[in-house]
Amino acid sequence: MNEQTESLSEKLLQRAAPGRVDFEDMVVVPVFAVIVALILGAVAMLATNVDLATIGRSYVALVVGSVGSVNAISETLTAATPLVLASLGMAVGFRAGLFNIGAEGQLLIGGMAAVIVGFSFAGMPTYVHLPLALIAGAVAGGLYAGIAGWLRAATGAHEVISTIMLNLMSYRLVDYILRLPVVQREGRADPISRSVLDSAELPRLLEWIDPNLRLHSGLFVMLVAVFLVYWLLFKTTFGFEFRASGANPEAARYAGMRSGLIIVIVMVFAGAMAGLAGANQTLGVLGRATPGFSAGIGFDAIAVALLGRSHPVGVLMAGLLFGALEAGGRQMQVDAGVSIDLIAIIQALIIVFIAAPLLVRKIFPWGFQKETRAGKE
Amino acid sequence: MLELQKNKVLALISGVGILLGSTVAAADFTACQVTDTGGIDDNSFNQTAWKGVLDAQETLGIDGRFLESQAETDYEANIVSLLGGQCDVIITVGFLLGDATQAAAEANPDQKFSIVDYAYDPAIPNVLGQVYATDEAAFMAGYLAAGVSETGIVGTFGGINIPPVTIFMDGFVHGVNYHNAEKGTNVAVLGWDVDSREGLFTNNFDSLDDGRAYAQNLYDEGADIVLPVAGPVGLGSAALADELGVDKLKIIGVDADLYLTDPAKQHVYLTSITKRMDATVLDVIEAAMSGTFEGGVLVGTLANGGVDLAPFHDMEAMVSDELKKELDVIRQGISDGSISVGG
Amino acid sequence: MEVELRNITKRFGEVVANDDVNLTIRAGEVLGLLGENGAGKSTLMNVLSGLYTADEGEILINGKPVDFKGPGDSISAGIGMVHQHFMLIPVFTVAENVILGVEPTGKIDYLDLKKARLQVREINQKYGLEVDPDELIENLPVGIQQRVEIIKVLFRSADVIIFDEPTAVLTPQEVTEFFEIVKSLRDTGKAIVFITHKLHEILDISDRISVLRRGQIVGEGDPQTTTQTELAEMMVGRPVSFNVDKEPYAPADVLLDIEDLTVLRENDDVAVDGINLKVHSGEIVGVAGVQGNGQSSLIEALTGLTRVAGGTVKFNGQNITHASTRARHRMGIAHIPEDRQRMGMIADFSIAENMVLDTYYDDRFSKHRVINWPKAYKNSARVAADYDVRMTSVHDAAGNLSGGNQQKMVVARELSRETMFLIAAQPTRGLDVGSIEYIHSRIINARDEGDGVLFVSSELDEIMALSDRVVVMFEGRIVAEFDATTHPLDKNTIGLAMAGAVA
Repeated sequence: MNEQTESLSEKLLQRAAPGRVDFEDMVVVPVFAVIVALILGAVAMLATNVDLATIGRSYVALVVGSVGSVNAISETLTAATPLVLASLGMAVGFRAGLFNIGAEGQLLIGGMAAVIVGFSFAGMPTYVHLPLALIAGAVAGGLYAGIAGWLRAATGAHEVISTIMLNLMSYRLVDYILRLPVVQREGRADPISRSVLDSAELPRLLEWIDPNLRLHSGLFVMLVAVFLVYWLLFKTTFGFEFRASGANPEAARYAGMRSGLIIVIVMVFAGAMAGLAGANQTLGVLGRATPGFSAGIGFDAIAVALLGRSHPVGVLMAGLLFGALEAGGRQMQVDAGVSIDLIAIIQALIIVFIAAPLLVRKIFPWGFQKETRAGKE
Repeated sequence: MLELQKNKVLALISGVGILLGSTVAAADFTACQVTDTGGIDDNSFNQTAWKGVLDAQETLGIDGRFLESQAETDYEANIVSLLGGQCDVIITVGFLLGDATQAAAEANPDQKFSIVDYAYDPAIPNVLGQVYATDEAAFMAGYLAAGVSETGIVGTFGGINIPPVTIFMDGFVHGVNYHNAEKGTNVAVLGWDVDSREGLFTNNFDSLDDGRAYAQNLYDEGADIVLPVAGPVGLGSAALADELGVDKLKIIGVDADLYLTDPAKQHVYLTSITKRMDATVLDVIEAAMSGTFEGGVLVGTLANGGVDLAPFHDMEAMVSDELKKELDVIRQGISDGSISVGG
Repeated sequence: MEVELRNITKRFGEVVANDDVNLTIRAGEVLGLLGENGAGKSTLMNVLSGLYTADEGEILINGKPVDFKGPGDSISAGIGMVHQHFMLIPVFTVAENVILGVEPTGKIDYLDLKKARLQVREINQKYGLEVDPDELIENLPVGIQQRVEIIKVLFRSADVIIFDEPTAVLTPQEVTEFFEIVKSLRDTGKAIVFITHKLHEILDISDRISVLRRGQIVGEGDPQTTTQTELAEMMVGRPVSFNVDKEPYAPADVLLDIEDLTVLRENDDVAVDGINLKVHSGEIVGVAGVQGNGQSSLIEALTGLTRVAGGTVKFNGQNITHASTRARHRMGIAHIPEDRQRMGMIADFSIAENMVLDTYYDDRFSKHRVINWPKAYKNSARVAADYDVRMTSVHDAAGNLSGGNQQKMVVARELSRETMFLIAAQPTRGLDVGSIEYIHSRIINARDEGDGVLFVSSELDEIMALSDRVVVMFEGRIVAEFDATTHPLDKNTIGLAMAGAVA
């Protein structure tokens, strides 16, 4: 290698500063999307005969209820934690080209397994019992998702179909498990599990300020998971294979990657994340399991993952936004008497606008650099 | 009415006083309600309980707020967001909020709570549970059904196998059995086995289709009177009765007098087993306002009007005067304890 | 009709795609527009067809300036474009495709297909196109599909027809037929623009030649007097050698030994039918054949991408008939796949990531399944510089590279490691002269260093230039074999064998 190529290769290593367009897509579009969604939300309220003062009050409540106090922040984080966990799994799936609709079911199965471990093994110290219960949740969720992965790899059954079916099965399975004498709470005829023992509960973090603050140490599990997924996706050979299979399965196959194995691994990992989200709910929020504890988190997680562009940091941000909307939405109800359904509308609008950056660019032309037609040659 | 009758009068007086004295100023008493996942407009117990708050707003001039729960994980969060002194009493609606209410009440001993359809044993000092001896009214409904049925078969089904549901079914079965024992009839009840605690359940509280299908099943097995204990699900059963004709299938409503709340299908209801949650909620608010609030249990019974059998309305003619007389006797017997509704 | 492009300048950000271009297109004349990939040919034509608006300059039709707001304006002005990638709906008939967007309708929006068929027939007759209007597009060979595109343009009464790289997808026979059509169009008074980077074609068909380089017209030529060498030099900007220099033929041990290899397609048709072939170290074996005669399946079987139905494949004495792709790769088999965009690279990934697409797992780049990215970046930059992949940074998306540079990137990845054997499928398809020259030199370099090379191409010229031995595949079998080291290769003989004319 001569000097010329040496100096050239040095130059090639330089990273271009992130383009204006990237910045706009990552930051400006979401900000505008939120603004547009809020405006249209206000229009929706007007259309249902809510007066302007109440609308103003409700948006103040939205902010106050999501970040306006220690309790608000605690609630935002509590709601965001399971969403982020489950959608990290979704994100890995998306990166690998798998559309896992089954987070809801995996979350239920994982949460259920965590509860069972959580109320068994009395007398175990927390530092053994809690990790054990969390791992049980992750493993159960992972195995459950692995069924869909295996079906896809071995038979070609599409994971969208199989995970939807597994969701339906999980509802009944949880119903059934909750009625087993070893699981069902004594003296109850309805499906409700025994209570998780103290040693397996995710300790609350802010009880020293106010016993009502629900924020629990699942937050740390979530933060570790964000880092772990980032590392997995971008620093390891597993992640490289996942991303390659997702971006161009044919090229991945030509590069000697084994698509079947990758599909199974990705599904198991996604299921494990959803399972952890379930464990987070049962061990940290509810302390027990009932049929409805998944609360649609597995479906919201799809939106969060899409919103976060399947990037761990993006998922974290999107999850926090959704958590804030949930906590703030509650306050909107209390302070302004606005229906909780409105929050769902606003959430949906935000997703629509973030998913359609071109639309946002059209609405706010002054917010963006003048568009240039990107084209080669 | 109820054991808190005297206080109610006092409260009423003071309430009227407030109303007269401060028509402009904001109310200085706030009652807050947390619904379960059925929502505030469920045509059933969330709505009935909220009517109690609305009644209090009207008669006592209080402020009322509610929070709807989207999912089970919201219960605790919703209760917590009402803490902090903004609510003088927090009313949680539904058996399923039992755990969350208990946790919040224990963490906040100074906050007054009341829960509909749940009671704690041992009692929590700042929670007043509102439970209903619906089996008393259901017992009467069972006796009535056994007396009216022409096929000799009546049916029932529930939403979820939980005590507030099955208590209706228990009373209903026992009422039928009482009729059989007294009159030597042999009327059978489909859909609930008192001993094994198993029966017919839709496992939801919202599918009208299920209500229709379950009633159809019971009708196919010969039942000509059906008691659906599943909130709005029963509306589906009523639709079926409407199509078949009331001579083939009659429905017994629950919670509210469905003849009044479901006017489109009112002709299919033989009667309704009413659960006056609005009355008990109003009582709780009055007690909290007058300072007589105490933790424990408030039981709605036939005797105090907390539960009742609704009038027969259009079906008046179907029920013989003799049967009406017997029902009056039973009501008396249940109230004075001479008849046990527990079978 | 005469169309004049005057002082056209088009910029994309900082990049000047067209720089003060002047061009005249005349009726009854074929204008050959020659240029490497990235020279600005397509941009210029997109300006003409209304897809882009020029930043400076103007378009004049018959001396009057026009202003195209979009493709619609250009079409109604009589300018039609036949794109390199056909825009046809496979499940529609020819007639339906032709009328798409300009359907002849009767009362109440009644679709008059009968009239459409008639009109297609008329165009057929006038220009000798011979296309059945009722045939489904998916049943037609590529050459006929192209004619459908031409009919589409004529149906919209175009007087100027632009062909963008029209021969890239055609077989040699189809090219000949296509040229006849172009000539008949010209003779009826149409103005033709023929965009290509293939020198002999442009000399065959054009009446006038303009050469574009880096957005500028660098020369014009008369096909009667200009030579290929002159044109190539104008196009690339430096003298180009068409002769490939290679070391004397010195084959060593047998590296790849294929015996009775049979491969099935997904529908169980026989794709490769009992092939026997040996490739030695230090030789290039060219596999000639019209596309679709089993070459792709042969390569997939040799690289472990498809299951072998019968026979054995030995590499360096080892039986690898059922070895995995990865295992073969590790033995030193390099593979340049036939479709770089689909099989050879990931457009959304950075160049650096693409450079380790099939080596990321080895000791150089990862340890305990953790990838050492800084090392991979450095290596990519070094290899890219070494293999003349032109780009600004290894962190850029590979999809932003030009086709030639994408292919160079793939070649660089495959050859920059220790290899013993190279399987190259259509390695220069769609590339410009400069890139072709470079990639050829790299393949020969590999052979001179003692690698065995199996080289599949549908370009006969390329096969003949590179190969030491040539085998011809037809319907899954090897129907002819030629040894270039003993007898000079004859293009006609090989061409006939490709068409199956050998018993």
